[in-house]
Amino acid sequence: MAKTIFRCLSVFCLVAVVGLAHGAERVLKVGVIHHSPPMSYLEASGALTGFNVEIMRELCKEMAARCETVALTLDRVVDALADGEVDFAAVSLLVTPERRARILLTKPYFRSISVWFARPGIKPGEARVAVVKGSIQARYAQAHAWPIQPFDNHEAIFGALAAGRAEAALLPMANAVALRQDARALAQGLASTVLQDPELVGDAALGVNPRDRALLDKLNEAIDEIKGDGRFDRINTRFIPFRLQ
Amino acid sequence: MTNPAKPADAHRTWRAGRVLLALSCVFAVIAVGGVGWLAVDLYAVGVAAGRLQGETVPWTIERQRLGRNLEQLRLEGQRVLTAPSPAGRQDALFLVHMLSAQPGMADDPRTATLAAEVERFLQQVESPTTAADMRAWEALSSRLRLMADDLSVEGGKRMSRELVRMSGEMERASYKLLFNLALMAGFMAAFLLVVRRYLIRPLQRIRLVLSALDARGPEPAFPPEPMAEIRAVEDAIIRFHATLRENDEVRLRLERLATTDGLTGLFNRHHFMGLAADEMARAARYGRPITVGIADLDHFKQVNDSLGHAAGDHVLQTFARLLGDTLRQTDRVCRYGGEEFAFVFPETTPDEAQQLGERLRACLLESPPTLPDGRRLAVTFSLGLADASGCGLEDSLARADLGLYEAKRAGRNRTVVTGRPDGL
Repeated sequence: MAKTIFRCLSVFCLVAVVGLAHGAERVLKVGVIHHSPPMSYLEASGALTGFNVEIMRELCKEMAARCETVALTLDRVVDALADGEVDFAAVSLLVTPERRARILLTKPYFRSISVWFARPGIKPGEARVAVVKGSIQARYAQAHAWPIQPFDNHEAIFGALAAGRAEAALLPMANAVALRQDARALAQGLASTVLQDPELVGDAALGVNPRDRALLDKLNEAIDEIKGDGRFDRINTRFIPFRLQ
Repeated sequence: MTNPAKPADAHRTWRAGRVLLALSCVFAVIAVGGVGWLAVDLYAVGVAAGRLQGETVPWTIERQRLGRNLEQLRLEGQRVLTAPSPAGRQDALFLVHMLSAQPGMADDPRTATLAAEVERFLQQVESPTTAADMRAWEALSSRLRLMADDLSVEGGKRMSRELVRMSGEMERASYKLLFNLALMAGFMAAFLLVVRRYLIRPLQRIRLVLSALDARGPEPAFPPEPMAEIRAVEDAIIRFHATLRENDEVRLRLERLATTDGLTGLFNRHHFMGLAADEMARAARYGRPITVGIADLDHFKQVNDSLGHAAGDHVLQTFARLLGDTLRQTDRVCRYGGEEFAFVFPETTPDEAQQLGERLRACLLESPPTLPDGRRLAVTFSLGLADASGCGLEDSLARADLGLYEAKRAGRNRTVVTGRPDGL
């Protein structure tokens, strides 16, 4: 009799422990884009890193979730979220009504501006502008009927600019800083101008699966937490030479 | 003019249940009021804490980030002026543009103005830098530093202002809490006092009265109590006491009826026989002397016939009174029937009993019965006595009866002792 009770208790404990462990650590699929320094890129060693990647890792730690990355290109991020292919995306998305209509967006974790890069003398709209497909910059250029040169990622634009295959580019602030530090691009003597149009300036947020409002709440809480306890600023310092606000 | 005195029972009474309900309602209203009064401050503390955590702390951190960017702007500006290469200068200038264009920098008019000024200055400075440029830069640099200082303490100032306000609210809440606790304690004490004074004390008094309640004692008295229930119990006790007394009186009357003769007040024959048997048993147990006797009024029938039954009754009553006055307390006497009376004299030998009988006869001669019209009746009686020690009651009475018979035969108005059958 005692043996039976002991066995039952053991099984119950095992089930409980497994259940708790399962409940404690949820597996989340996180969309990341590669080749977009300093936000997310592959190190020489092949490891994925960058501001957004490290922020994502801290958020997952804060939410006690195991996160598995899914590589995406920027133009696929909103679709992948809307289709439920990924739970959230570690990509800075400028908040627009169109994006808000299709996916959930976290609270803004910083604000961004856009920078025009071109050979000296070329004004915005005067030359074909290199943009990343699906970016807010691409949409802006198209809206202004600028000739565009679409690329899959920012590193491709950097390469094209360095190789002289592109004359101008419209980039988000953080990528602009990275380009500025790229020796090959520097050699081309590119001039930069900050564009202050409202369509290019604004809040950057993370995209979330539109059917997972609970995850959105947890992410918002986690963002508050890491912005309050210094983890956000430490990652900021590692990847960007000034404070993102 | 005087007010008519109120009767003792007319004072106002209250139902304890209603009084307790009313007290509870008052208490509940006061408690709810107190808690509500306290909740206002607790809510304010909660709001303040929420604001501190949700707004002020993030705002403070943002201020520090802005301060840090100003410092970064200063460093980049310094690099623009001192960079050894044009590339380094360009790089620094790029970051100056970036920092100046930062939305965070543009939010605050003070930083926006200063950053724009710095940006303009650095853009127009040409390489190599002149001493005048450096002086102008020093001034700007100093302003940047001071503003960074200001920004980094602004958050602290705002936080401390809010904390002071919050601690004020907390202090007020704690005073209110203390006041509420004191109020509750006071109310509880008052409640207990009321219960003690108006319920427990009267109950204790009721218990005392009940434990000492006696049918022959005085009617229990209670001070006027305001609680209706207590008053009802007290009234019931008073009624109960009255019933007890009535019952006791009835019992006594019945007992008297059962044991005494209605006309003379002496014991009746039945009761006498019981008492006599007890006395006989006691005498036999301790080997003490005991004598029984039977007396009969002489010529009583003539009194009845010539003067009427009322006169006869009067004679009987007078004789009974005489017996009561003359006999000792331990002697037992009863109206045996008609004009016959039976006696038991414990601790008495026949000789002593005879002396007693003689004394009785002398008394009757001295104070004869007097009729209401003043006529005196010469009444005598004959007495037969028998030694009853060691004998049966019936047997002894029969021997006494023999003695009575002898006395009658010998001319009445005398006492005759019948000897024991065993001749002792």
